[in-house]
Amino acid sequence: MRFGRTSKAVGVAAVAALALSACAANTGTETTEEGTEGEATGGNIRVVEVNAFSSFNSSTSEGNVDINGKIAYATHSGFVYINNDLEVVKNEDFGTMEVLSEDPLSVKYTVNEGVTWSDGEPVDGGDLLLAWAIESGYFNDSTTDDAGEVVSGATYFDYAGDTSGLGLTELPEIGEDGRSITLNYSEPFADYEVAFGLMSEGGIDTPAHVLAEKGGLADEDALIELINTTPAGDPESPVERPEIQALADFWNTGFDTKSLPTDPSLFLSNGPFIASAITPDQSMTLTRNEDYDWGPIPKVDEITVRYIGEAPAQVQALQNGEVDIIAPQASADTVEQLEGLEGVTVEQGNQLSYDHLDLNFSGVFEDENVREAFMKTVPRQQLVDTIVKKINPDAAPLDSQLFLTDQEPYEETAANNGSDAYAEVDIEGAKELLAGATPEVRIMYNRDNPNRLNSYTLIAESAAQAGFKIVDGGLGSSDWGAALGNGTYDATIFGWINSGVGVSGVPQIFKTANGSNFNGFSSPEADALMDELIVTTDPEEQDRIQIEIDKLIWDSKYGLPLFQVPGVDAYSDNVTGIEYMPNQTGVWWNFWDWQVVQ
Amino acid sequence: MVTYIVRRLVTAVLILFGASFVVYQLTALSGDPLEDLRASNAPNRDQLIQARTELLDLNTPAPLRYFGWLAGAAKCIVPFAATCDLGSSIQGEAVTTSLSRAMGNTITLVATATVLAIIIGISLGIITALRQYSGLDYGVTFMSFLFFSLPIFWLAVLLKEFGAIGFNNFLDDPDIPPSTIAVVAIASGLIWALFASKSWKRKGIAFVLGAVVAAVLLFLLDLVGWFANPGLGPVVILVTGVGIAFGIVLLTAGLRNRKALYSSLIMVALGLVAYYVVNPVLNAATIWMIIILAVITVLVGLGVGYAMGGYDRSQSMRAAALTGLLMGFLIVVDRFMVTWPSYVSNPRVRGRPIATVGAETPGLEGTFWINGRDTFTHLLLPTLALLLASLASYSRYSRASMLEIMNMDYIRTARAKGLSERTVVMRHAFRNALIPLATLVAFDIGALIGGAIITEQVFAFSGMGQLFVQALQRTDPDPIMGFFLVAGILALVFNLVADIAYSVLDPRVRVKA
Repeated sequence: MRFGRTSKAVGVAAVAALALSACAANTGTETTEEGTEGEATGGNIRVVEVNAFSSFNSSTSEGNVDINGKIAYATHSGFVYINNDLEVVKNEDFGTMEVLSEDPLSVKYTVNEGVTWSDGEPVDGGDLLLAWAIESGYFNDSTTDDAGEVVSGATYFDYAGDTSGLGLTELPEIGEDGRSITLNYSEPFADYEVAFGLMSEGGIDTPAHVLAEKGGLADEDALIELINTTPAGDPESPVERPEIQALADFWNTGFDTKSLPTDPSLFLSNGPFIASAITPDQSMTLTRNEDYDWGPIPKVDEITVRYIGEAPAQVQALQNGEVDIIAPQASADTVEQLEGLEGVTVEQGNQLSYDHLDLNFSGVFEDENVREAFMKTVPRQQLVDTIVKKINPDAAPLDSQLFLTDQEPYEETAANNGSDAYAEVDIEGAKELLAGATPEVRIMYNRDNPNRLNSYTLIAESAAQAGFKIVDGGLGSSDWGAALGNGTYDATIFGWINSGVGVSGVPQIFKTANGSNFNGFSSPEADALMDELIVTTDPEEQDRIQIEIDKLIWDSKYGLPLFQVPGVDAYSDNVTGIEYMPNQTGVWWNFWDWQVVQ
Repeated sequence: MVTYIVRRLVTAVLILFGASFVVYQLTALSGDPLEDLRASNAPNRDQLIQARTELLDLNTPAPLRYFGWLAGAAKCIVPFAATCDLGSSIQGEAVTTSLSRAMGNTITLVATATVLAIIIGISLGIITALRQYSGLDYGVTFMSFLFFSLPIFWLAVLLKEFGAIGFNNFLDDPDIPPSTIAVVAIASGLIWALFASKSWKRKGIAFVLGAVVAAVLLFLLDLVGWFANPGLGPVVILVTGVGIAFGIVLLTAGLRNRKALYSSLIMVALGLVAYYVVNPVLNAATIWMIIILAVITVLVGLGVGYAMGGYDRSQSMRAAALTGLLMGFLIVVDRFMVTWPSYVSNPRVRGRPIATVGAETPGLEGTFWINGRDTFTHLLLPTLALLLASLASYSRYSRASMLEIMNMDYIRTARAKGLSERTVVMRHAFRNALIPLATLVAFDIGALIGGAIITEQVFAFSGMGQLFVQALQRTDPDPIMGFFLVAGILALVFNLVADIAYSVLDPRVRVKA
């Protein structure tokens, strides 16, 4: 056999290659050590959020999204926070809140010495004054017409919270130590404890020295000077405040970002953690703020937040060990899936939102007997059994219009307000009250929400037995909200959110002709009590008044609270310290107790 | 031709205007942006409603608001002015920013799946057409329709359950039980038998062969702990390389072309040498380095083919370049495999390499190889889901078109004049069978940017689909319009491209001017 020159070359090359490979057996691919990069020594916890982070300022109406609030909670400190029993807890390591006098109400806030922003600047009186200026709406002087268009003046800081509480205070002065301000209320304000520096609303979250610089001022002192000298807002005689406007413009949008800014002053921390990396719409990493020692000290070095919208995807990510804590949207399927997992703890509980049935105090329901008859037919226990029990086995019908089951006075008010009359369906009693009449009732609800649709179906079925003619007034999710209070229905099923702490939400719903009073409830006695309530600062007294109001509402045959919306979170056995929390802070409320099991 | 294109472009612009108006109105009608606030019991409810009304300009009727958007969008047409204003989302991010990010993410997700679907789908189509009504044909048809009709969210959940969670559990203790080996062996045997030609005897032999090979392979891999420490090693690379060389020459030049075969084999040998020589350099690899190496490989291949000389040099050059490229691919794959243990044991990965959500492990900082690995483990499942779901259309189209071509007179003529079957299939039939597919491919590339809405949702991947869905949930018109603009323009452009490509490829089709 003859070999060509080429085939000889090929042969030689092949033999050489084989020889090489034989003597060097597999050493050709030597790897360097590359396994240890990015290691976290004290542990890293990976928590899932539904929405993606979008702003380092969670207090604007655009930035006020749950995830931004949670990041603010982990990266800022404040005077008070709320625990999962819905109690207000003071964080005295950060600073003190001291009531100087009850009437007139005067509260002094002092930041402790040594509390600093992550750039080393102290957290001081200027920061407190700025927070006050923003949250009190001090400079706002806008008036709006009926369509909601601004006619004159301006709203400067686009603050998402309620300005009415701090709006009662006059321009505060910074104390001599430079670390304190004293807020003097013109009248006692019931929610003063949570009105300023509440951590779940970001605490003290805007560094005055940064905003001063970004807003075109020389320094923090210039900012203090500006706040002190600029006239307060008066809608009657609006004036231009260009310097405040420049500050507000930056505050409103300057902290919005989906990625980590190159300028570190835009995400300063004065809390346990500080943002260290962001992948837009994917994940965010918080690392320990090394200076932090003014408040609960976290046990982990790093928290990774991942955004996963779909509940099943969250469950599978937890199952696959990619994440440690999830809090998906609660549904029966999700709970069932979670309970089937090994090495996972599931926590079920109530949320602060609750569904309720309201009867209009007009039309067919003008007659109290008809309202009472209708209330007697509502199968509240059955609603809970079919809608909530699968997600939260401990659920029970909600028996108070003002308190949630998680709040302390709930038992007392439920026993006292007459709700037990509606614990069981009483068709006979309803028929008696109707005395043969067959009133036609149109029930409005969001028919795109399966829970509301179920509630409606069960309520309608039961009411029909007593002789009510039920008309399905359900509307699609784009229309039902606009229909609230427009008089086209007789009863409505929807949800409200209880703040959990504070009482200023009460008049909003129940006071005569107020913004969210859609069914025309009006009781002079209750109005008077509510006027008293919002100027009562003693918590015990607040509870007493609310219990009275609750009874008045039930006595008036207002309608019925149905159930609290259930919630669920779950975590893997790799981590401990997670506790269920009903409010919007969710599992984050005690992130400092989170711990990696070694 | 030019007038035709101009006319089409003018129509396209008009269509875009009309469609964008309709889409804007539909978005505005799709929900109530104030829904959550209307039922709110917050003390400052009215203030919040007013703030959002102002932000979204809700007091202006939607048909008028459209022109506000249009005025901003029109600035995008002004060249080099950088005044493009597509508005911003409710949360204050400029649409242009989120669009570019989402587009990038979507392309990484969908590109691989689309390219693989085209290659695999067309190959399957051609093979099944050549073996019409065989077991293989029925098998492939059955599987492709099965995956086509599976809802993709369910397919995704299954993939996550078995491909990620199950596989990661297996990796914790990589020990294959005999029952699994038996099942895999039987499955492999069946697949081999399907590919074997008609006679039952050959099918039987193929079945036994397939089963035995799979079983032995699994057993050996298990024995040496390959799943914990994977790699190819020089011997496997050499053997596979020789196989590739023969395969490529068989398809491109025919084995009788010895010069082509030798040039390919030389490339295999060179590749093996490169495996040792280049390896130290690869530790500091970047994507550009890999690309440059690939280009060098192709040039060397062309050089080797040219040096072989002979009657038809270009055949040798082509075969050598392709073989070289695939050898390089093997080396890169080997390099990725070798990083596997250090990737798995990374404290961020925590021994659970295959991911079910997202595009990357947050906070993972590593070399090109580790990060590449990370992208691979994250994209594997969504790519598989997309690939399986889109195989059917390509394989069916190419099968049909191949069958039609194979029955043409000119194929009979080609056979009659004594051309080899390889030449008939590869040169005369295959190329012509691809023409109708040009339309399909062009459309699919246009649709690619539109995103895979459900897949993105299930795998928590933030691409165009997510951008669209999330904006729709918030009744946020600007991001939706941005999405629509990109998707709409691409659809129109690729439609045009498909038509033009068709007339270029097939001289019988004339574009009417």
